Amino acid sequence: MIDLKDVSYSYSGIKALSHIDLHISKGEAVVLMGPNGSGKSTLLKIINGIAVPDSGVYRFNGEEITQKKLQDTKFSKLFHQKIGFVFQNSEVQLFCPDVFDEIAFGPRQMGMSETQVQQRVDDCLELLSIQDLKHRQPYHLSGGEKRKVAIACVLALNPEVLTLDEPMNGLDPRTQRWLVEFLVRLNRAGKTLISSMHNLEMVQEISRRAVLFDENHTIVADCPTRDLLEDMDLLKKVNLVDEYYHKHDGSGHSHFHIHSSPFHED
Amino acid sequence: MPEWLLKDENYVPQGDKDTFINKSILSLLGVLSRIRAQGGYKTDRLAVNPTLKVGFTVLLVVLLSISRSFAFVIFINVYLLAALCLLKGEEILKILKTSFAVAAFTFIILLPSVFWGNYYSICMITPKVFATVTAVNMLSHSTKWNAITGAVKSFFVPDIFILVLDITIKYIFLLGEFSLNMLYSLKLRSVGKNGDKYTSLSGVAGTMFIKSKEMAEDMYSAMECRGFTGEYRRYQKIKFTFADFLYIMIHMAIIFVFIYLERA
Repeated sequence: MIDLKDVSYSYSGIKALSHIDLHISKGEAVVLMGPNGSGKSTLLKIINGIAVPDSGVYRFNGEEITQKKLQDTKFSKLFHQKIGFVFQNSEVQLFCPDVFDEIAFGPRQMGMSETQVQQRVDDCLELLSIQDLKHRQPYHLSGGEKRKVAIACVLALNPEVLTLDEPMNGLDPRTQRWLVEFLVRLNRAGKTLISSMHNLEMVQEISRRAVLFDENHTIVADCPTRDLLEDMDLLKKVNLVDEYYHKHDGSGHSHFHIHSSPFHED
Repeated sequence: MPEWLLKDENYVPQGDKDTFINKSILSLLGVLSRIRAQGGYKTDRLAVNPTLKVGFTVLLVVLLSISRSFAFVIFINVYLLAALCLLKGEEILKILKTSFAVAAFTFIILLPSVFWGNYYSICMITPKVFATVTAVNMLSHSTKWNAITGAVKSFFVPDIFILVLDITIKYIFLLGEFSLNMLYSLKLRSVGKNGDKYTSLSGVAGTMFIKSKEMAEDMYSAMECRGFTGEYRRYQKIKFTFADFLYIMIHMAIIFVFIYLERA
């Protein structure tokens, strides 16, 4: 479904991705992990056609995605309908007067009747448990509510692939837990999920496959999530684990620590 | 899960024009990458004290504008082209492109005066414009913006004014990134025919306005928390190198040439 071969990208001469090879099949759930600035968000931008690789090939459903193809409005619109993107900062996704119009924005453009639009918006509101926000103004919502509305807007287009950039950022623990369960449900319903994350707390629950980036903007591991979380040396190398000082049975000590993971190294 | 979400969407989009969004994205990207490039720029060839650069660039512009000597104008043009050679090839190209474009525009505007027998204006003003644009562009390409704003302190510009300049540049970048992401989002969600494009764009503009207001309020609160009472002091480390000495000497020579040629 998604196929990247030897993809590199740079911003005004500053390297962001270097020789990336990645294949993601339909229905998979993949988590992109790595430290800040390792290229996760850039890869998501390339997958969504916001950025075009400097070199290498990106294919979606067997078709190469190029600048020229993205300039063809019909192709571009169909491509964007098939891949949905939830931005790291949900605020940038919300520009309509109220939540209803926000979610209805996509379905209305797809030429649906107003009854179908109404039905789809109601389904999305119910799915994300935000029925009470229906007539609220998006800019007055809390961070968690904005994230839910942004997801609802993308889901209303019924994309085949859902990409999320740091979806847990800025959410309280309860909303994080809700979002993890929601993403698992979506994946079980057949949606392909690609999500970037740099905290390891909930990775294992969201996906069975993890792709790890290092500070050199390359992929250093592409393996089952469980295996990756066991590879403490690699996680240390890419700065994804840190050392905590804490007490057990009255005696203090420090060790590397993965949140909510059973794997500890003393 | 609703049933429609379990099936693949059978959707064939209609063609629609997104030229405005695409052009806005491109122009914003241009501005942001220029600001980013400024941040990462390291002067190694024109590594002169920014205060001297700002001061002598202003002086050069003033001398050029009051000069009545064609020889002086040509002398300055030759000097600037020689100094330009110290920059990188890519930058030389950018600076010359702008200078030639502005000079060509001036030439065309002044062309009718030639038909009335006034050759003086076109011969003097066109090279003066070329030299002025080149000098200012050289300054902006070889000096970081915060160094320029810092340098104006030496010319008795109030610190608070420098603070406002610094904050303006910072927020052009921050709001630019925010609006760029909003336009990306609008583009990604525009999957069909949008008969109401201007409403969507006014939504983007409205959100930008709210965002800028929030950012301004946040900054005000943050400054209050950091003990800001309306006074701002910009500290400068003054270093004097051989390059600075050489730069001063060259410009003293330019002043001397100006006086000599104007008297002649």
